[in-house]
This record gives sequence, structure tokens and C-alpha cells, in this order.
Amino acid sequence: MASLLAHSLVLFAALAALPQVVGDFWAYTLALYFLYAIATLGIGLTWGQAGFLPLGQAMFVGLGAYLSGFALIHFKDSWLLVLFIPAAAIVPGLLAFAIGLLVFRGRTRSGPFFALITLAMTLLAFQIANSWNSVTGGFNGLKNIPGLPGIDGFSEFYYVSAAALGLAVLGVAWLLRAPLGVLWQAIAQNERRVAFFGFRVNEMKAVVFGLSGLLAGIAGALYAPQQNLVTPELCGFLLSADLVIWAAVGGRRTLYGPVIGAVLIGTLTSELRDQISYWEVVLAGLFIVVVLYLPQGLVGFVEPPLRRLFRRRKESSLPVEEKPRTHDRVTLEVDRLSAAAGDVRILQELGFGFERPGVYCLIGPNGAGKTSSFNVITGELTATGGQVRFQNEDVTGEPADRLTRRGIGRKFQIPSIFPDHTVGENLRIALWGSRARPLDLLKHSLLRWRSPILDELEKRFPFLAEHAKPARDLSHGQRQILELAMVLCLEPRLLLLDEPSAGLSPAETREVIDTIRWATERLGASTIVIEHDMAFVRELADHVFVLHQGSLLAEGDVESIRTNAEVQAVYVGGTK
Amino acid sequence: MDPILVTNILNVVYEITTLAVVVLGLAVIFGLLGVMNIAHGEFIMIGAYCAFFTQANQLPFLAAVPLTILVCGLLGVVVERVLVRPLYQRPFDTLLATWGLSLLLREVAEWVYGKGYKNVDVPLSGSSGLMGADYPTYRLVMIAVSVLIVGGLLIWFVRSATGKRIKATVNNPELAASVGISVTALSRNTFVFGTCLGGLAGVMLAPLVPIQPLMGLDYILKSFFVMVVGGLGGLAGLGAGSGIIGGVESIVSAVFDRTAGYTTVLLIAILFLWLRPNGLFTRA
Repeated sequence: MASLLAHSLVLFAALAALPQVVGDFWAYTLALYFLYAIATLGIGLTWGQAGFLPLGQAMFVGLGAYLSGFALIHFKDSWLLVLFIPAAAIVPGLLAFAIGLLVFRGRTRSGPFFALITLAMTLLAFQIANSWNSVTGGFNGLKNIPGLPGIDGFSEFYYVSAAALGLAVLGVAWLLRAPLGVLWQAIAQNERRVAFFGFRVNEMKAVVFGLSGLLAGIAGALYAPQQNLVTPELCGFLLSADLVIWAAVGGRRTLYGPVIGAVLIGTLTSELRDQISYWEVVLAGLFIVVVLYLPQGLVGFVEPPLRRLFRRRKESSLPVEEKPRTHDRVTLEVDRLSAAAGDVRILQELGFGFERPGVYCLIGPNGAGKTSSFNVITGELTATGGQVRFQNEDVTGEPADRLTRRGIGRKFQIPSIFPDHTVGENLRIALWGSRARPLDLLKHSLLRWRSPILDELEKRFPFLAEHAKPARDLSHGQRQILELAMVLCLEPRLLLLDEPSAGLSPAETREVIDTIRWATERLGASTIVIEHDMAFVRELADHVFVLHQGSLLAEGDVESIRTNAEVQAVYVGGTK
Repeated sequence: MDPILVTNILNVVYEITTLAVVVLGLAVIFGLLGVMNIAHGEFIMIGAYCAFFTQANQLPFLAAVPLTILVCGLLGVVVERVLVRPLYQRPFDTLLATWGLSLLLREVAEWVYGKGYKNVDVPLSGSSGLMGADYPTYRLVMIAVSVLIVGGLLIWFVRSATGKRIKATVNNPELAASVGISVTALSRNTFVFGTCLGGLAGVMLAPLVPIQPLMGLDYILKSFFVMVVGGLGGLAGLGAGSGIIGGVESIVSAVFDRTAGYTTVLLIAILFLWLRPNGLFTRA
């Protein structure tokens, strides 16, 4: 926190000193672009951090400005403004949150759709503002809006604008350093993995979008008294595009990038637009280059990426206890489960289950439905018939986050980690997934969490203790092991492991076998492992299920499966 | 029949068929390459400016057709090579890149022609009698041409060897490449074909709409709504999407006003995203 305090002192001192340096005229221009910078910060949150791009952010700026304009015109000098001006900023935030809930719910990976929906909305907002003459003043807009009571003249407003920007930057900086910020970046890297750590990804994205709407709303609410005029253009397409360009050119993934982009490019454009006729062509070209090749933008050249700030943090630890176990035993029942993709029947009345703890191996030729059965159990693939019961409760079709909170942990076939995060952050995301309540994600102390399971895992795999190392620097085998360790940190009761030894060296395979055995006993869990390597299966399996063409072909201990004539028949022909 | 009713029906048919042609280029590119080309509306804009250019140079209206194919084709080749090919399999980055491209094309158009509206004279002015109603001849021709383009493309796609190669490539690019199909060339041709279709739609629409740098926005959004509602089920999806979006928008706009029409189709698109994310027709 000390660094954040120092940070804010420097920031506010610089903002306060600026008018003395640049003079009154520039202070007036800057005051406007500071407001735009607040809205651009929101683009940094959604696009730079959480990885989805709103193309219609101006509608929230416009909404905030119109609301604040009405309030200032109708309640001039009334004390009610103390309520109405903040409300003018908050309403756009709530609207953005609601839109986020609505749009993200339907599709998990909704990138292009979200962008286009927001673009459509901003055009709609413009049309409404432009045609609803009686309320918005139509094409000419709201005119003669009084300034904020007690703020005289342009130069005084500079300080209002600068204070709002300073506070917004600090608020965003604080959020980005909190666990919530770490999770937002994780969503941008691998949404599916985040959901399988028990987080409600769609709601979290709606929260990010809501915050960006709030920032846009703040910009709008102050724009009205600063410019004394609100026109439909303020909610239109062009400003929406400008906000995105500013964020990109400044550096969308950094804290200050959007601010610098808005202030620098914004003021440059207002100066050069009339002098250089092709200025905006150049800017559009610059945007394409920056977006594709320089995600850190201009700030990337000057300031190291924000994440490096995290790494300077001294590691201290805050132990958390193991999760209490709610059930003595783990039961899973897969009952006549069917699934299809088009005309292809993937699972056909698949049935298997267990009541005793232990390690169960799921084998079968390619295309037998092994990974698909995991996908149906975890609700990613819709079952066309049948039921999945976990701990004697029907969990068929439940979404990943709820299943995870019920105690099911899944490791994917392709190692799924968060490469842009450090090893420590990767592991902590898993710890939070099983234990943190939504509001806990604001507490910076969570960044120091460690659990007994994690301690033991670090003894087994020393590279896991290198918390500051970026996960992208890990080898393939280490990534596999990191993901396994993350899933174990959830302390699940049912472990679903999809080829955990794929691509590992013999020594690493050995350690993974030991770890799976140890973890299964340590957690009192049951483990289902999909595996092709029969040596691995012989070492690990207490019980084997053989799948063939989407149904259960045979089950039993390793020896009885080896001698089973039907199983041999299926495997003859060289299918591995 | 009542002439007013006939006129209204023809208006709806006109909206739907022209919308289908507007969407076609985008749908071809998205369906076959998985690339959402947000700059599609700007190719329509370029087509419209080509029509304006031919008129300004006293050339016949139809001269805009080869001109547009030339301009949009060349542009398509360059864009595919520079922005799209390096980004296949990265849908979000293609979205960003083509959005950047749409900005660039708009700014170039504004730089060359300015912000003001341009107009192209209707080539077949006058109207024709149809079932007791007088309807503008050019619009009737547009309806016919639109049906011909969409139908012709479908027949070609089903019948021709290239159509089969495209289907093979969509299903399994690696396998298609290994049996000797040049996936790179096919993808490039598909993209260029899509951009040219956009340009041609622009030429067709040019005499009936104000031409200005931002005109593409409206078309890309409507096309997007059509694809959300129709899904990617080939012609059935295109037809159903255009029918619902074009039909609803023209009817609601006629009864209330344009804002109401636009709001309604936006809400329909959101509802579909929410309740039926794959649209009405999906390809298995």
C-alpha cells in the first residue's frame, strides 16, 4: 500500500502543477481531455485487462452527460445536485452491468458479438438523442447548461477534472493490484480455465463492463458542466472509436496507456486535424499497427508493463486452512448418458460409476468418447439423455463454476495455464477459486495466500516455489505439472484428469503418478484419469473403465481388462 | 389487389432481397473462413463511391461494375495478405484488424471526397405497373438481380468442383491441403470474392441512398443481425435472417419510425444471442 500512496502523491502533485506550466488556455483543453481519459481508462479495463472490446463506449459518456445536464438545468444551485450528479455517473455504470449480464450470459466466448452489439447500441443511442427533440433538444442538444455550483470559470474546472482523473487512475490501479485484477487478466488469457476454478466468469465480465460504464459515466457527468453543451455526437460512433484508438495507441494493457493516449493523441488531433488533411488516415494506420504488433502501445516503450510492478512485491505468506470435507465418501454415477454433435452420436447410453475412493482409469481407442464424457459431466457438452449424479445429487448440465464449487476439479488435455501471469499468481488463482467469496477478491492479502497442500506440492516440484517466474517461461512438462498442481490446490473431491502425462519425460511421468496417488489419498478424493499409456494405467489404476464407441465396453481391475477378449478385439488393429 | 398493399409488400420484398445481397459477402467470408470482416460495410461504401466516380466522369452506370470489382478485388487481395492471413484462427485479432481497416477506409474516403453526401442518379428512372401498383423500375430490377445473385451463387456452390473444394476446406483444412487443394489460394479467393460482393452491393444501392463515408456502419450492423438470427446454415440461414431482420425493420419503420425499427431488430438480435446463440440454422 505504501507504493500506492507514493504513487498518488506524485500523481496529484503533477496534476496540480500542470496549469502553472502550460497556461490557462491549455488547462481548459486539458480539462476536457482528462475527462475523455477517464472514459478511456474504462476501455483499458475491458479490453486491455479482461480482453473484450466495447465499440460503443460513448453511449455511456453521452448518457452520463445528458443526465447531468438535465440535473444542472432543472436543479440549478439546489443541494439535490449532490445526489444527482453522482447518479448521472452511476446510472450508465448500472446500465453497462445489465447489458453485460445479458450479452455474456448467452455465449461464453462472445468476443466479436459483444463488440458489435455495443457498436449497434451506440448508434441507437445517437438516433434516440438526435430524434427525441422534446427531451434531448434533438440535433442542437442541451444548451446553456450551468457549471458546477461554486466552481467559477475554466481554470477552476481544471482542478475538478484533474482530481476526477487522479482518483479514477488510483481506483483502477488499486483494483488491478487486487486479486480481482489478476483474475480479469486471467479471463483474457483463458476464460474456460477460470470458470473451471469456480469463478462465475460471465458475471465477472459484466462487473468489468459495469465499471467501465461507470468511468464513462463520470466523464459524461462532468462533461456537461465543463462544456455547458451536450450534443448527440457525444453518444455517437465517432467518440466510441476515438476512445478505442486512444487506448490502443497509448497502451491498452498498461495503467497509464489509456490516459496518455487520450490526452496526447486527443490534443494532437484537435490541433492537427485542420492543418494536416490526412492526419486521421495516418492515425487509423497507426491504430492497425499498434493493435497487431504493439499491445503495450506508446507507454510500452517508456514504462515497463504493469505486471512487472507486481513482481517487485516482497513475497510474504498468509496461511489458509484446508477446506472442511462435507462428505465422507465420493460417489459418482453416470447413468445412460447420451450426447450428439449433429448426426454423430458421441455418447450412447454411457453408464459407469463408483462409491469407493481410488484412482479410476478411463481407456479406449481414439474417438471412444473419453474426453467427451468429461465434457458432458462438466456441462460443456449438452447431454441428450441420461443423468450425472455427484454425491447423490443430480448435476447434469450444471455449469463449470458450480461443479467446481461442488468439489469437482478438471485438468485439460492441453495444458491450460495463464502464461502472462507468474507461477505464484497461477497457483493463487486456484486457491481463491475454492475459498474466496466474491468480495474477498478486493483484499490484497489474498495475494499472499498459501495452503498446506500447496506447501506439500512445492516440496514435490521445487519449480512451483519460484513464484515470481512468469508461467510462459515454463517447459511443456512443467506446464502440465503446474496445471495439475493448480487443480489440486482447489482441494477437489472428484478429480478429472485428461492425459496428465502427455508429453512428459519418464522421470516427470513417475513423479506425476506418485503425485496423483498421494493427492487422491491426501484429499480423500476419487480420481478419473483418461490415459493411453498402458504402463501408466497398470501403475496407477485401482479400477479400469473401457469405452468403445460412446458406451462402456468393460470394467474391472487391470488384470481382468488385459485378459478380456472383447477389449483385445477392440484394440487389435493398431489403434493405440 | 389494392395498389397500396402491393407497394408495401414490394417494399418489404425489396428490403429483404437487397439485405440478402448486402449480407452475402460477409456471410461467405465468415462462413467459409471464420473471419468476421467488420470492414465489409466499407467495401459497400467503396462500391457506392465507384458508382459516384463513374457518374462524375460521365461514364455509363454499368461501368461502375468492372471498376468496383477492380478496386475491391485489389484491396481484398492486399487486405487478405496483410491483415487476414496472418491472423487465421485468431478471431478476436481479425476483428480488431478489420475494425482498424474500416476506420482507415472511412478516413481515406473522407479525405478524398469529404464528409458531404453524394448522390448517384437512378439509371432506370420511371416506374412500371405491377398488379395495379406503380413501382420504381430500378427497384424491381434490383429485386430481380438480387435474387439472381443469391440463387446463382447457391447453384454454383452446390454444383461446381470449386464449391466442393471449398466445402472440403471448411471441414478439414489439413486434409484438404493433403489431397492437393491449395488452401491458401482458396482462402484468398474466397475473401476477395466476398469483398467484391460487398462492392457490387454498394453499386446497386448507390442510386437509392446518400453516399457518405460513414454509410458502411449501417450495413455491417444489419448484416451482423442477419447472421446472428439466421445462423450459419447456408442459404436457409441467410434467407431466414434477411427475412426476419429486413422484414421486421421495414414494417416497424413504416408503422412507427426508423428509430423504432432499428431498436426492434437490435432487441431481436440480443434475444437471439441470449436464447439461441447459434441462430436459427446451424451447420452440423
